[in-house]
Amino acid sequence: MISQQSLLKRTWPMVVQCAEAHRKPRWVPVAKSKIYRIPKRPEVSEEERLELLRINNNYKTQMRAIRRFFHEEMIKEKSTKDSASSEMSLRLEAQEWERCVELNEKWNAQVALEREERRKQELIKMEEYALERMEAKDKELEERIKKASEQIRKQKEIAATFITPETLDAAIEHALANPVDYNFAIDLQGNQFLGRDTPIPQKNLDKKPPSV
Amino acid sequence: MTSPVIKYVGRTTNFKGKTLWEIVGSLKNLGVGRIIVRSVFERYPEPSFMKIVKVETCPDEERRRVRVWVEKTFRGRKLPNLTEIYRTSYKPDYKLVPKNEEAKLLASVTKEHNFPDVILPRTIEMPPLMKQFIVKDHEKKGLEIMKEYVMPLSYNHSPNRVHRIANPGEKPTVQFTMGLGKPVSPSLYEGVPLN
Repeated sequence: MISQQSLLKRTWPMVVQCAEAHRKPRWVPVAKSKIYRIPKRPEVSEEERLELLRINNNYKTQMRAIRRFFHEEMIKEKSTKDSASSEMSLRLEAQEWERCVELNEKWNAQVALEREERRKQELIKMEEYALERMEAKDKELEERIKKASEQIRKQKEIAATFITPETLDAAIEHALANPVDYNFAIDLQGNQFLGRDTPIPQKNLDKKPPSV
Repeated sequence: MTSPVIKYVGRTTNFKGKTLWEIVGSLKNLGVGRIIVRSVFERYPEPSFMKIVKVETCPDEERRRVRVWVEKTFRGRKLPNLTEIYRTSYKPDYKLVPKNEEAKLLASVTKEHNFPDVILPRTIEMPPLMKQFIVKDHEKKGLEIMKEYVMPLSYNHSPNRVHRIANPGEKPTVQFTMGLGKPVSPSLYEGVPLN
């Protein structure tokens, strides 16, 4: 049985976990239940401590030397490169520049050719489009004129029947002479009987309604 | 009246003593002229102590710290310059030497230090893989090929240094190598061939 004291004084937590996504964030303080859990101080024997100290010191010395060596080499290389660039690279740079200019001009010529072609195509397309639109406009106008002339013709035809001040008396007389009655009645069979005072024949009332 | 019992809870430390402000703040004239000891340096056989020369207090934000200039004697050797203690002044590791023991401490300095004179090397041999790499690398870059595979060593500069670094042409008394070296405690390597 593990005693309470040894549990409290253990060096490591009870459950060793990996630093994964479900871990408590680093800035969250110690849980209330764990405040008084004081980890036991790791016991390192004197021999081991001295040996580890010696090994670590050795390692640090070696690594410092290696780091310094490569650092100095890097600086040396850089300085040689810089000094070499003053003479050699001037010529090299000029050559490179010329080469670049040549290449650029070649590209420009090629692009200019392509652009000319594209422009021509675009111009043709634009002309076509303009013509199409003009035609469409013409057609529409024509249609409108046709419609209007048709309407004028119709109106001229109708104009003969118009009531003018001269024919007003005659029209009134005509209207008085021929009164029109739009009232009508309807029976179950759907027969219409025009006029308000039209007598309705009685024979239909005697008959039985047709059985449906 | 029972005095309240204070029980400290927490991890143990290697430190032993008070912070510098706890000592200096309660002394007359802020303890100028008194001698303090850092208990970490008491592990050396030679006396190491510090005499306070000047004290400057710090603003409220740094209430655990204090800026102190001291005449430092480290491992029986007095350093030529004054040392400023600020960054480490918060460490609860300082002790005040009582006035009646000061004379004894000062008297113990006179004798010569008893550690062996160590002269540190200026160079170290390259590790084996690095030698081959360097040869190929220099060939590739068109540089001259190295004849001696040694690298310069660099050391941290500290006024506390007791080991001397060899002058050019001087023969060092210790030699650093890239291997494991000679173990301090052979009992840890029982049954392991060391070659």
